[in-house]
Amino acid sequence: MSNDRYHRGAGGHRRRHNRDREEHDYHDRRREIYDSPEQVIKNTIIKMGEVDPTQEVPRVAKQIRDGPIIVPAISEGIRLGVTQQPYKIPYYAALLRLLHDPAPSQIESSTSSSAPSLGKQVLEDFWKGFQGYLDKLAWRDIRLCIHFFAHLMVAQVISIESMSALLQSFTTVLDEFGVSYGRGKNAALCAIEGLLIAGAVIKKSSSPNTGEIIKAIQSFNESITSSKLLVQPMVSLHSDSPVLENADELIDNGLTVLKALEESDFLDAWSNVPQPYLDYPDLDPTVSSPFELPSILVPPEVIELDGLATDAGEDAQVKKEDWPEHFFYLFDNTVTPEPASMSGFLIRSNVRDIIDIFEVNRKECARLLLEYPKWCVPGTFKPRSGAPPTEEDPNAKNWQLESAVIETILGTLFLFPEPPHKAVYYIALITELCKLSPSTVGPAVGKSIRKLYILLGNGLDVEISRRFAEWFAVHMSNFGFQWVWKEWVPDLALVEDHPKRTFVHRTIVFEVRLSYHDRILKTLPDPMQIDLNVIDNQAPGPEFEYEDPTNPYHDVAQSILSLLRGRSRVDEVISHIDTLRISLESTSIPLPHPHTSVDALIRSLAVQCLLSIGSRSFSHLLNAVERYLPLLRGLANPNPAHGGGDETEAKRNILDAAAFFWRRNQQMVGIVFDKLMQYQIVDPTDVVAWTFGHAGMLDGMGDGDPGRPSCIGAFEWDLIKGALDKANGRVMVARRKVAALRKEQDDSIARAKASGGADVASMEADADVKPIKQDDPAAESPQLKIALKAFTSLTREQKCALSRTIESFVSCLALSPSDPRHNPYGQSVTTEQAWQKRLTWSNDEWKTWETWGWYRHFCRMYAPYLRNYATTLSTVGFARIQDSVDPAAELMKKTWDIATGQEV
Amino acid sequence: MAHVVQPLDQPSNYKDSQSRLERSKQQDLLSKSTTLYIGNLSFYTTEEQIYELFTKCASPEDGGGIKRIIMGLDRNTRTPCGFCFVEYYTHAEALASMKYVSGTKLDERIIRCDLDLGYKEGRQFGRGKSGGQVRDEHRQDYDPGRGGWGAQAQVDRRREVEERYADAQDGPGAVASGGGEWKEVETRGTLKRGRSPEDDGDNTRLANRSRIDDPEAERM
Repeated sequence: MSNDRYHRGAGGHRRRHNRDREEHDYHDRRREIYDSPEQVIKNTIIKMGEVDPTQEVPRVAKQIRDGPIIVPAISEGIRLGVTQQPYKIPYYAALLRLLHDPAPSQIESSTSSSAPSLGKQVLEDFWKGFQGYLDKLAWRDIRLCIHFFAHLMVAQVISIESMSALLQSFTTVLDEFGVSYGRGKNAALCAIEGLLIAGAVIKKSSSPNTGEIIKAIQSFNESITSSKLLVQPMVSLHSDSPVLENADELIDNGLTVLKALEESDFLDAWSNVPQPYLDYPDLDPTVSSPFELPSILVPPEVIELDGLATDAGEDAQVKKEDWPEHFFYLFDNTVTPEPASMSGFLIRSNVRDIIDIFEVNRKECARLLLEYPKWCVPGTFKPRSGAPPTEEDPNAKNWQLESAVIETILGTLFLFPEPPHKAVYYIALITELCKLSPSTVGPAVGKSIRKLYILLGNGLDVEISRRFAEWFAVHMSNFGFQWVWKEWVPDLALVEDHPKRTFVHRTIVFEVRLSYHDRILKTLPDPMQIDLNVIDNQAPGPEFEYEDPTNPYHDVAQSILSLLRGRSRVDEVISHIDTLRISLESTSIPLPHPHTSVDALIRSLAVQCLLSIGSRSFSHLLNAVERYLPLLRGLANPNPAHGGGDETEAKRNILDAAAFFWRRNQQMVGIVFDKLMQYQIVDPTDVVAWTFGHAGMLDGMGDGDPGRPSCIGAFEWDLIKGALDKANGRVMVARRKVAALRKEQDDSIARAKASGGADVASMEADADVKPIKQDDPAAESPQLKIALKAFTSLTREQKCALSRTIESFVSCLALSPSDPRHNPYGQSVTTEQAWQKRLTWSNDEWKTWETWGWYRHFCRMYAPYLRNYATTLSTVGFARIQDSVDPAAELMKKTWDIATGQEV
Repeated sequence: MAHVVQPLDQPSNYKDSQSRLERSKQQDLLSKSTTLYIGNLSFYTTEEQIYELFTKCASPEDGGGIKRIIMGLDRNTRTPCGFCFVEYYTHAEALASMKYVSGTKLDERIIRCDLDLGYKEGRQFGRGKSGGQVRDEHRQDYDPGRGGWGAQAQVDRRREVEERYADAQDGPGAVASGGGEWKEVETRGTLKRGRSPEDDGDNTRLANRSRIDDPEAERM
């Protein structure tokens, strides 16, 4: 950057620079302005260590001491460094330790000054920032500050007693009555990580509290058992104890490490974490007394209640709850950091923090991840090939960086109920890593894909399998769709609904959506190209039922189409359709299957014609729907004057027509359903009901065997999720609207009061805000009334959609054997014997197993909503199995109880 | 966070060079923008491909989603000319696309996303002399995804593309609105939809805004 030269500029340059800047501003270009001394200090501290941290720390310390000394700037620089570059924390501790050392001038004059050391002054200011994080309960920042304090304690800057007390304050949180899991987990992590760093010294101190802290975390952790059953990556429907295969829970791991350390008196605690400050000479405690951390109280969680309730008086506010974090492992402990070891735990924590912090810039994040080994003790990661060979160190771990990074990213992507950021972030991050270092990251990605694939059909959760397919497809779309499909050809011998086969099918469907049919077809080996359960034999497209001239309704459809194509006015189209209805009613031709009434046939005709003119693109669809909205509304809401009809049936007919029309393009089914909800032609509940009504019949050509049990696959789940998200999203928008209007009203009352009743709004640019008359403060504005009414309707719809989903899952899995729709496998696939024989499972058994998976995911995913309405929903949803002791019914209710927090 | 690295969701130097709005007003609009300009698309990329990728940044549970996609068309031939607008319901979704999608591949080309002031009538057409985007006027390289030099590749895809937007119109109402917020509607027995007061509010507010004449989208 040529900007650098301006930094050296003297006065004359500055003037020129300013003139330049004005000119450049015109082009909206960002130019660096001269840095203030504060900014210089901050930048120096933030950038410290980029080349050689051990060398740079003393240099930066000297630069700071040489002044000007601006304590707030120093402490802010360190605070930003600590909370945004956690891998540098040991070096920031070293820096502070050097600032805490007596100043060289003091040593020379050998006068022991009574003024606190610079280090102490900085820490005092730093503490204010830490207090700020505490007040906001910014847990990651709090935890990283604790890393910093722990290192400082080891570096003799902070007193052991005050550090022990700080860690203990976090375990007090665990004893709080009714502590939420999220709060407890975060507090426990603070204590665990702090103790991992500081434990060895605390243990040797006069009054060690390590045992006490470990015990508190353990008893908290033991109180959480059943919720772990619902969030582990490997599912075992028959087991009541967590499956420990391939994934450990985070707090479990932390405890394992701590307990082992406690038993060994923290002897080998320090082999793999950098401690640059230990190279400095010991401090004389009489000259440099340690800093005493003030005592703290972790503030309680504040939940802002907006007092909005549903018409049944339930609280409708969504409180997302944390769940235990089971991180997925793909590699063994010789390849990637052992999660239940001291250094493995801290390294993984560091990598997770980098992934989280640098979410704002995935490219930088990828670079920092690949540079991570430089912040570790040599021998932690295997040196890059081509690097000079290091001396054989018996303690060297030689873990593989790329495998560790990919494993951690995937582990986070596969967290339940959802990853902390959008899935596409993790996908894009892996893409960047591959672009930065294809030869080392590529193989790690390939290995991860193969290892995940093996787990399909061996218990891998259905939602992980879905995220896996999504990642795979997007990843391949960034790398030329190059995958060695050949190695999976032998699996074509498995039944079509085996998880491996549904995965391959779904991945290819996703790839085709991102690319096009011919392109993807060419990437497949011959046996896959001709297998309809792998890829369709033609490109996805519309299937207009009445296009065929031999269809008895071809001409009728053409008459509607020509009006639509000519962009006839909507009332003309409506009256034409009314005429058609009358003439069809008077004919004696039997109605074509599956229509049972002329109305149903009319709906099918009209909707398919409309979709036909909208089939060219998404925009064409929107245009068609928007132009003929009144027509669609009329179809969806049968007019009593015309003999009426069932509204539910009308909506089902519309969805039937859409799904039929797009039966060779699942993406479009999803899009059309979404827009039909958006334009309020159908409600989310209609979509939920329709999807369950067609469950098991949507795959392939759309006409499944009605004799098969009703089951939910990934495509059906996507439709259900689309409907539930729509219902929930609307409530969210309505809530925000009410809040905004209330605030607006309060503000204008306050303004009116402040101005003594004068019309202040006339001064405002936005004339929409009318002040409420002072004498009538309680009156709700008409807009607010409308918003409140909308909120009530929408929460009703939301509950309706949710309870419909539960009820329908019950129908899929746990109806009593006497019910004609009883699924014979609903219970059997949950048993251990059946699971052991899964190699012989039929399609129906696999589909039923998958349905169980989606039910579990529904419960954990929508738990915040389910919890609010738990009583109503379970009464309605479980009505048919309320008293059943059938194992399938019991398992459904148990899963529900875990999700809604009625069983912990 | 900006202390250590530059976030990817900041407005870049992309701008609508024909927008007559003051800079502060533009910045204000960008800070709430729900619209993205997408550049460097292949001429063959469809709206459904775009939908599939950009829906990954949608937050329907928060009231979001893809509101509409406006394909950039050659003014003369009415065929896609390599750019589009994606409009979401929320600003956060547009930012997510900047962070996670911009700079990744779609249809095997690295695409670029930029926060946009919002679609205005007429901006769906290219502003190059020959009807496409200006950048394709001066391009020296052979680019099969953007018309190449008589691209033989992807013949079938080209035929579809050539026909798809033959019916594209300009003028008011040529582009769908994408559907607004949920509203209480009186449906039974009547086909007429009463307009709620907010509907009108939105329109008048738009109409009252100083005339904005920015018929095309182009980078500087």
